[in-house]
This record gives sequence, structure tokens and C-alpha cells, in this order.
Amino acid sequence: MHVPFLIIGGGLSGLAAALRFARFLPDVLLLEKHSRVGGLNSYYYRNNRLFETGLHAITNYAPANTKDAPLNRLLRQLKIKRRELDLHQQIQSEVRFLGRESLLFSNDFALLDTQIAAKFPGSHTCFQRLLELIENYEPFRPAPFISAKKVLQETLGDKLLVDMLLCPLMYYGSSLENDMDLGQFVIMFRAIFLEGMFRPGGTIKDLLDLLLDHYRKHGGSIRTKAAVSRIICSGKKVHGVKLADGEEISCDYLLSTIGSDETYALLNKPSPLESLPRLGFVETIFELSPETVLQGSENRTIIFYNSSETFSYQQPQKLVDFASGVICMPQNFQGLPPSLFKEVRTTHLASYDEWLKLRADQPSYNSAKEDTALASREVAEKILGNFSKNIVYIDTFTPLTIERFTAKKQGAIYGNPVKIKDGDIGYDNLFLAGTDQGFLGIVGSMLSGVSIVNQHILPRL
Amino acid sequence: MTRDEIKDLILEIIEDIDEDADFDALQADKPLRDQLDLDSMDFLDIVMELRKRHKLQIPEEDYPQLATLDSCVNYLEPLLSDA
Repeated sequence: MHVPFLIIGGGLSGLAAALRFARFLPDVLLLEKHSRVGGLNSYYYRNNRLFETGLHAITNYAPANTKDAPLNRLLRQLKIKRRELDLHQQIQSEVRFLGRESLLFSNDFALLDTQIAAKFPGSHTCFQRLLELIENYEPFRPAPFISAKKVLQETLGDKLLVDMLLCPLMYYGSSLENDMDLGQFVIMFRAIFLEGMFRPGGTIKDLLDLLLDHYRKHGGSIRTKAAVSRIICSGKKVHGVKLADGEEISCDYLLSTIGSDETYALLNKPSPLESLPRLGFVETIFELSPETVLQGSENRTIIFYNSSETFSYQQPQKLVDFASGVICMPQNFQGLPPSLFKEVRTTHLASYDEWLKLRADQPSYNSAKEDTALASREVAEKILGNFSKNIVYIDTFTPLTIERFTAKKQGAIYGNPVKIKDGDIGYDNLFLAGTDQGFLGIVGSMLSGVSIVNQHILPRL
Repeated sequence: MTRDEIKDLILEIIEDIDEDADFDALQADKPLRDQLDLDSMDFLDIVMELRKRHKLQIPEEDYPQLATLDSCVNYLEPLLSDA
């Protein structure tokens, strides 16, 4: 079989790339290893209901009239109408450093600005300077690594404020330990603080189905449970792929969205990238009965918390580091219809290696998962008030779970700390999009797929 | 296609990209991108739509010739003479 354009990976960047291409030419095939599309943002069924994986909130909210905003550009590129998405904005989120300080933020940037003026009066003028820097920075221009932490410290001069600003940005998209590239910081600051967060009215399944419907309507093809075992190439020219079942598919252009090291593995080539520690996470979903009132949550959408003296964002030496994390309440978006359940979702940094040690011993692994859920619940209850009596169902994902279902190396959701911004991995007709290209979040990863197709593939056809 | 038909074709493609595009004040000799707030990603849609609808292959080095409505018409007129 031959297709002009072949895509490996049916996550959001692959789906967006496929849809973008299919709008003009239907000769595109998307290969997904798993039985379902979505990659990191997918779903599963348990306890008679659908649970979302990955999705807490979508960053990059933009009102309809901001044509240049990433969200609106993306929708135009894919020819999807805003009304098809049914957008619901966050109510209000918070960065809470326990016993020290709290900063509220929403999709109205003035809230964060006022909070900083009130709580960090000495740094407020400096914060305006930081905003100017962010406004004028060109984050997509390839540039050497600049430490965002250092720039923030120099600009703001207040370590607590620096950590409080970095905490949500790191948790929502940094693959690097304890720092971010300045460009990445600017992208994330705009996405989370200046633009804001939202979610669709339906589930992630509805969003994925919408993308698939559009894709199929344009004539695009997709195969699930289609694992690629090898990329066939000679020199810098890729000829196609070999699937796990032995079938060969040739192509003119190949796009890989599965990660850089994962792609080099299919090419049978050692990765030329520096090997830095990858960040693993555990996530626990607490399904709560619908009448649950979370006393301390005050309708927060997301709470990014830290309870230790210094905020550290690094691979822990133990299974899980509960000192900081994310607590998300997916029902707390504006105007959502009342649902049949409530949820609290918690995320913490975790060690892939430590979880891997337990894999051979199923009872220990399972009890470590239970202990994780318990410890995470206790942390969340300190902030939200008690909800243990209202729990209907609990599920915990470890870095091993994430690796198994998403094929992300070491279950590191944000991928390789070394990003390849232009998607060029040294081949004439093979490009990289998605997480390891450095675009994160649902809007970011979709734009990544779209922009690689725009830059490297459509103009050459 | 006549020059007017080509003009309509371009405007129709742009309207398809952005349904709120306002053509009332459009000046045919000024860059489309600035006037209609199109970015380079949107601009590629014009090229790709022309390919889809009229099997036109426009090489990348010719993209600048599609900058204004007038230059689009000048560039496309010989290519679409039989369309």
C-alpha cells in the first residue's frame, strides 16, 4: 500500500496534522498503536462511566474576536467552528503555597495582577517589567537555552513569587527539572495566565469524535491497533513503515508524533539527543457522589499547591512526592450542566524507576497504588475539606500505566526535556510533531501538528 | 476565467477561511494579509484551495505574487484562462 502522507500516532498533534492535510488532499493515513485515539488525552470506561485521561483543563482560552490567538488560529486551520466545541471557561484557579501565600487567577488577567499588587507590593512594578518582556519575546524563534528561573529571579527579586508563578507553568507543561527555557516559559505564561483555561461541555471523547468526524468527512483514513515496528529508510530518505503484523506501507512524507527517542528507535538509530531525567507523574481520580460539597474548594477549578519550604519540580527519589501537586475539580467550569458525579483529580511528581521496581510484584505494586491514593487524598483534604465519605470510585495511574497506554517513554507525559522546535530530525521527508517538538497542551500540540504540515509538507506537494 | 471571476474566486476562498472577513474597504492594490488580518497560516489556505479547486500547483517562490488582490488576478489570469 502507498499513501502520499502517513502519520504515526493518533494523539492530538497527529489528529490535527491529519485533519489539516485531509482538508486539501484526502490521501492521508493515520496509524494509532492503541485501540483508541487521543494519546495522552483519551478516555476509558470503568464503573459504568467514561473517565477522561489527561484532560484537566485546556489552556489558551481566547474570546472569538481575537483572531490571532492560538485557539482561533487553530480552529480556522482545521475549519472547525467555535460553536462545535461548546467552550466553558474556568471559574477561578489558585496557586497556594501552604502556610505562606496564595494567588488567585482566572481568565481575566486583572485578577492575578491585583493579587500580586496586594500580596507582593514590593515586586508589583517588577512584575509589570516581566509582562513587558513576555509581550515582546518571540518564543518560537530557535534560540539557545535561557534559564527562565534566572530571568524571573533577576526581574522580580522575590523567590516566593518566582516559585509561585513557575509552579503552575511547570506542572502544566515542563519536561525539564526545576527550570524552564525562557521561550517555553513565555508560551506557558501566555497560555495559562494571559489567555486562560477552559474545557469543552462534553467529554474528551466528544472532542476526539468531532476531530475524527471532520477528518473522515474530508476522506482521511485511520487505522487503530496499528503499531509501527520499523521506519524503512535509506540515507536521509524515508520510504515507509513496517507494521507489527508485517505489512509494509510506503509514503512520500512521514510525520511522527510519538516522541523523538521513540522515533529514533523505529529508525534503529541511537538518539543523538542528550539524555536528561524524564518527569513521571501519578494521577488519582476520586469520583464523588453528586451531592458532595467540597467546603474548602470555593469552586476553584484548579489548585496548584506546594507545602515545602522550597518548591521543587524534579524526579523524586521515592515513588511519589506529595509535597506539591495539582488538584483539579473538573465540574468547576462556568455554565457546565449539572453532572451525575463530581470529581477531584490529583497529580504529583513520581519516579518511573521506583514504580518499575514494583512491577514484577503485583501485590506490592497494587498496594503502592492504594497508598498513593490515600496519601494524595489526605493532602487534597487538607485543602478541600474532607470528602472521603463521598468517594464512589478511585483510580490511580502510575508512570507505568501512562507508558502502557500512551507509549510515552517512561510515562513522561511532557516527553523529552530536549525539544526539537523545528520538527527537523535530519531526514528529507520525515518530520517530528507533538510533545517533543515543544508544543504542549491540547491547543499547543494540535498547532504543532498543523504547523509542521504547513511548513514542511503542504508547500512541497 | 475573467479577471472579475478570478477576483470573486479569491474573495470566496478568503470568506471560507474567515467568515467575518470584511471586504467593503478592501483595496485591491494593498496587501491582503494586512487588510484582512490574515497570517501566513491562513495565507497557505488560499494556495491550497486553488490547488484543490483548480488543480493549480503554485510553487513556494511564487507565493509573494499572491500578496494583493490585483497581483493575484495578474498571476492567476494566464493559469486560469481555460477554467
